[in-house]
Amino acid sequence: MFGAIIARAFYSLFGLSILFGLWWYGGWLLESNPATMGFADFGPGPTYDAIPYLFGEGIIQEASITSGSRLGIGLLLAIVTGIPIGILMGRSKVFKKLSNTPFQFLRMVSPLSWEPIAVIALPTWNQAIIFLISMAAVWPIAFATAAGLAKLDPAWFKVARNLGATWLDVLKEIILPAIAFDVLTGIRLALGVAWIVIVPAEFLGITSGLGYTIQDSRENLEYASLAVTILVIGVIGFLMDGICLAAIKRFSWHHK
Amino acid sequence: MTGTTTENPTRLKRSEWLQDHILYPSIGFGILIGLWALGGWLLALSPETSNFTKFGLLPTLKAVPGLISSGYIAEHVWASGYRLAIGLILAILVGVPIGIAIGLSKITEQISNEPFQLLRMVSPLSWMPIVVFVFPKWDQAIIFLITVAAVWPVVYATAAGLKKVDPAWFKVSKNLGASFRQLLSEVIFPAIAFDIFTGIRLSLGIAWVVLVPAELLGVSSGLGYAIKDARETLAYDQLTAMVVVIGILGFILDSFVARMVKRYSWQRDL
Repeated sequence: MFGAIIARAFYSLFGLSILFGLWWYGGWLLESNPATMGFADFGPGPTYDAIPYLFGEGIIQEASITSGSRLGIGLLLAIVTGIPIGILMGRSKVFKKLSNTPFQFLRMVSPLSWEPIAVIALPTWNQAIIFLISMAAVWPIAFATAAGLAKLDPAWFKVARNLGATWLDVLKEIILPAIAFDVLTGIRLALGVAWIVIVPAEFLGITSGLGYTIQDSRENLEYASLAVTILVIGVIGFLMDGICLAAIKRFSWHHK
Repeated sequence: MTGTTTENPTRLKRSEWLQDHILYPSIGFGILIGLWALGGWLLALSPETSNFTKFGLLPTLKAVPGLISSGYIAEHVWASGYRLAIGLILAILVGVPIGIAIGLSKITEQISNEPFQLLRMVSPLSWMPIVVFVFPKWDQAIIFLITVAAVWPVVYATAAGLKKVDPAWFKVSKNLGASFRQLLSEVIFPAIAFDIFTGIRLSLGIAWVVLVPAELLGVSSGLGYAIKDARETLAYDQLTAMVVVIGILGFILDSFVARMVKRYSWQRDL
């Protein structure tokens, strides 16, 4: 058991050091070629040197918190609208048949193409970005919830009723525990898409957030801070995805 | 993700099939179009928003024939389609072998897990400034962004598919004298085709999300550019028409891949 954890940690560190080695090698290649020397700041050395300044000034923290709050509100809205839609799709055959085609169509409208409309319709850019995130994130949650409900065994409802369960008991003791796994799987997918959408959404019209930091460093040719921001985006995304994955495992009742 | 129904049409009565595949979707779509028309009418009603009435249903419908006959839609669909196709093909060519390596070897899986998850969770568009320096052409930069975004679902779906393959099959085929190539073509690929297509469907969805913002900058062709162009020229009818084109194209592509997923499914309960 303990040995397995050590081996696991060893392999992870080994893998990460390969990635780091490739990055270092890329930086070295940039540095050694006179034509690309101007881009040498992309390498790990200059990136590392830029970290104290960026964190000391609070630039990274501020951008992360701003983007994080947009992401949080956007995802929350997607969950609040997506789960009821999913439950409707899962429980009502008519609703499912009616909504399937229009929802699939809306799902496949690339979220960023709503941007001009969102900017005109909503009073602030902040709201427009949150809308884009919700628009992208609502579909995985809705479809995962519906798929989870479809797997429910109707016999459970009969048993519950025979045992005298109220409507609230059925919801609390059967439906929610049964679909928690699927809802969380949907939320994990939604998080992935929202994370993709938030960066380009913050490229335009706004002067805060991780997407803006990328855009800003690029325009000022600050390649080291660009690399730091990319790294921070990867690490935050990795942590959020890890939390979702842990929650999914925790609520899983599918024994393999 | 789910979507299409799983019933076999030949087993259903014709009228039921018509109901499920024509009537209900038409009513559903009708409701969506009705809501759009209502929104346009509300915009026209208030003097504050009357500048934006072109977002409505009728102006958009009026703009469509011109956009089709002038070749505007075809031109941008072609440009985006080319980038999407090459990006996806590269993602599949790179992703399937990596997925097979992860699925077959526990050590590869453990070594690659953290670095790959880290790379996967770097929002693809944040690579854009770097990619633009690295590649001589914007076209290549966009294709790279699509590939970087689309490769992960293919990798992980392929790996998950291989893990479900019963190890006994390998033994049986080895006992029957199968070569490595036969093992690959007769056992592994038929077994994981379903999972690969499931991965490709997810990849397509993500590539579609990345394509539009990638085309908002630098290039002057493609669906993303068409959106930006319409917005800058205040041609709102054109803008909504392009949004609809993006939705329809995405819908068709997604349905096509969903069909392939079903076609290669050997798990009957799915």
